[in-house]
Amino acid sequence: MAMIEDRRRLGIRLAVLQYMITVLFAALAASFWLLQVVQHDKFKEMAENNHQRTLPLRAPRGVVFDRDGKVLVENRHSFGISIVREHTRDLDRTVRLLSEVLGMEESRIREIVDRHRREPSYRPIPIVQDATLAQVAAVTARRLDSELPDVVVEPVPTRRYPGTMAAHLFGYVGEVNDAQLSDGEGLKSGDVVGQAGIEKVHNAVLMGEDGARRVVVNSVGREIRTLEQEEPIEGKRVQLTIDADIQRSVEDAFKATPFNGAAVILDPRDGDVLAFASLPAYDPNAFAAGIDRTTWNQLNTDVLRPLNDRAIQGTYSPGSTFKMAVGLAGLEEGVISPETTVYCPGHANFYGRNFKCWKRGGHGAVNLSRAIEQSCNVYFYTVGNQLGVDKINKWATALGLGVKSGIDLPNERQGLVPSTEWKRERLKEKWYAGETISVSIGQGQVSVTPVSMAVYAATLANGGKRVTPHLLKAVDEGQGWKPIPPPPPEPVIDISADKMEAIRDGMWRVVNAGGTGGRARIANRDVAGKTGTAQRISNQGRLAAGRTSVNLRDHGWFVFFAPRENPTIAGVVFAEHGIHGGNAVRIARHVLDTHFAKQDGLPLPPPPTDLQLDMSDAFASPVESPH
Amino acid sequence: MFERRLYYHIDWALLIALLALCALGVAMVFSATAGSASTSRMYVTQLYAIAIGLGAMVVTLTIDYRAFTDKSHLIYLGLLAALLYVIFLGDVQMGARRWIPIGSFNLQPSEFAKVGVALVLAKFFGENRGTPNWGDLALAGGLTCLPLALIAKEPDLGTAVTLVPVFLAVAYLAGMQMRILGFLFAACIVAAPLAWQFALKDYQKTRISTFLDPSQDAKGAGYQQIQARITVGSGGIQGKGFRQGTQGQLRFLPVAHNDFIFSVLAEEQGFAGVIVALGLYLFVILRALESARLAKDRLGSYLVLGVLASFTFQVVYNITMSAGLAPVKGLTLPLMSYGGSSMIATLAGFGLVLNVRMRRFTN
Repeated sequence: MAMIEDRRRLGIRLAVLQYMITVLFAALAASFWLLQVVQHDKFKEMAENNHQRTLPLRAPRGVVFDRDGKVLVENRHSFGISIVREHTRDLDRTVRLLSEVLGMEESRIREIVDRHRREPSYRPIPIVQDATLAQVAAVTARRLDSELPDVVVEPVPTRRYPGTMAAHLFGYVGEVNDAQLSDGEGLKSGDVVGQAGIEKVHNAVLMGEDGARRVVVNSVGREIRTLEQEEPIEGKRVQLTIDADIQRSVEDAFKATPFNGAAVILDPRDGDVLAFASLPAYDPNAFAAGIDRTTWNQLNTDVLRPLNDRAIQGTYSPGSTFKMAVGLAGLEEGVISPETTVYCPGHANFYGRNFKCWKRGGHGAVNLSRAIEQSCNVYFYTVGNQLGVDKINKWATALGLGVKSGIDLPNERQGLVPSTEWKRERLKEKWYAGETISVSIGQGQVSVTPVSMAVYAATLANGGKRVTPHLLKAVDEGQGWKPIPPPPPEPVIDISADKMEAIRDGMWRVVNAGGTGGRARIANRDVAGKTGTAQRISNQGRLAAGRTSVNLRDHGWFVFFAPRENPTIAGVVFAEHGIHGGNAVRIARHVLDTHFAKQDGLPLPPPPTDLQLDMSDAFASPVESPH
Repeated sequence: MFERRLYYHIDWALLIALLALCALGVAMVFSATAGSASTSRMYVTQLYAIAIGLGAMVVTLTIDYRAFTDKSHLIYLGLLAALLYVIFLGDVQMGARRWIPIGSFNLQPSEFAKVGVALVLAKFFGENRGTPNWGDLALAGGLTCLPLALIAKEPDLGTAVTLVPVFLAVAYLAGMQMRILGFLFAACIVAAPLAWQFALKDYQKTRISTFLDPSQDAKGAGYQQIQARITVGSGGIQGKGFRQGTQGQLRFLPVAHNDFIFSVLAEEQGFAGVIVALGLYLFVILRALESARLAKDRLGSYLVLGVLASFTFQVVYNITMSAGLAPVKGLTLPLMSYGGSSMIATLAGFGLVLNVRMRRFTN
């Protein structure tokens, strides 16, 4: 009985177990159904995020050549180190380890990470943009130990500039900022874009298109294979109008002086910029891989303001170099003819006030070209007084002064040639005729940028065609060099070339007769030019401030072109606190020597060592410190 | 000893299902390990283990199971000796003493303890007539707890716990009153907080707490669980294909060839493969339960259920865990996971199951 009883119970209990297990397995099958079928898409994406990464392949920017095909700006290979937070397990730990490995301060890394916090976590946050080999090795070793699966080392093409040469011309590159992001198409956070100079203006041409590489990584972040690769497209190659030899001659000549300043050298026929310098310069290479804060602060607080592009942003009084504009206005308006003479007794009286010529004894009777040669103030006082300020304004503008040159560089400033309208609008005041007298010799409110002075020189050189200076000669869009036509000259006013002859003759005499430009005289080259001195402060003021203050010294100008007939070079040298225009002439001389040597296929002159500068600061005899 | 006619009563269906699961296991072990030079020969080792296991099965099949139960006290004592030996002289791997090195093999006595306990409990309850009383249960519990304590001491809590279902299942089948079962259940619930407080080690507590909320430690202890879920879920219906799984192949899944072999299957063979494997396991378990029902004597039923209890527990727990639905514990999947001792002991155990069914007509 008990036996049967036992069997029955055993059968029931086994049946219970059977059902339980069947239900259990059904539940398991349902769970897998839920995970693998219902929620499949979610987990599929999670699995892909686990093992696939998209790494950017940085496109190199376009290589920049000079007009002869010499490489000016190229790219070098460097390594960037970034954090990809998507793969971070413990950000604090990563930051701590990285600071240890890179020798950077933890707070600095954290600051960078915080700045990019709002970005999607798959986007690499660049910590070091130009890592040293030691840093690359240290990080790579840690990655092999699987300690830093969220840190990537990627090759980054980095700009290489020729030192400080033409720094303001090239500009520099840097990570795109928020403002640029919001109005630039196709830019994304982390992109490197031009921030100054041609890098900025021609960014669209120079910037390449980044590629991407989709790779499979394992659980410790090691790359297993590449799934697909989109090659980066290099930025377009660009040929500049710059002549590296002329550029170097300008900078070499400045280096032989204690002066800063600017120089812009043009081909007067079409406005090609042959050389463009602003000194002191900075080293754009410091920006190429992300500038460190110390260097940036130094550049910004430097009293010499190296970031300031004096050639297009500095406005200075033109001094005597302005006299050609007044002369041309006189001729064009019929106030004078080339033969008209004015008697200079050393001073003249206008509107009850005595205006002095720089030469105490006076120049006697002078015509236009002699007046230019001798820089006679009384002659131009007289002509300017007869013209009135508005006619001076009209012809100075026609020659390129007081307006923007239109050069393809960012943030050009505009100089000023005053007019009655200007004064009425800006100062809400009437123009007094007496003010015109100062304007006639390039003083008073007249101010110009060096680049506009170069246009002025080129317009005088080519007989009245106001060229637009430009830097782009050709672009290679993949099918070889495609020339960029020079922008058309500004058709403001017709200037008759024959009327300009007397002025050009005067400029020739400045160099080749008895003028202040004698240092630029080269046999058979017929260099023409005009010096000028821009007063920084009234002489009385300077006496009060102390005689020796370098910062208060006058600036020296020299505008020039050569040869007199069919000129091939025109330009300006501006020597900041150069005391005399003659010192600017000495700098220009080396540039001209280089230009002609190159033209004739002769060996280029070596960098000058002694320019025999005139450092005598004779401000004590007030008006007699001329040009 | 082996009578020819017994041959006709071997449960071929069960045997084929077992071999199918072994083959599936070898394929998955190969998939999970072939990619790395240091592990690429593991599937061969697994094949050897299966061969040895089948040899052990022949032994446990050929000799009448009553001969084994008769000698179960000796087997039991032998096992205790082996477990003691392991504790004091065993090989240390990954912070635990679990192995006895024999040549190039490492024998893991705790795996065999499951079969040993099944034998000794079958004999114990088989000899007892009628409903087991408190004294019987206490004695049987003691017999279970002795090896359990030794295994837990290694420490190998996972394997130790698999002995509990053996005791419960055999006692249940032997007619243990339901209220006693209810009482034991209640006692467990009361004991849980105490165990949490005093018995569990920190890493064990972490495992449980992260199971309840894996995201609280997404890159640490919860990592395996999340990765297991991703592995299974990303497999979809069809799976990613043999050796094409990204989670297993790229090592996002830890110990893929071992504890998480079922996740590898789910990833590479998809829901379809999962259903096949689940079906095979269910078939094996139900078929074995059938053997328990058909057994000639209670002893045979108990023995079958004893062997089956730890097997079923481990299968269900491991599969649940490999879907990221249970706390991660070092419990392998019998027949599929890489591991020689487990394979041999499991096949030997099923030898006993076949044995009972085969001899249902003998006297």
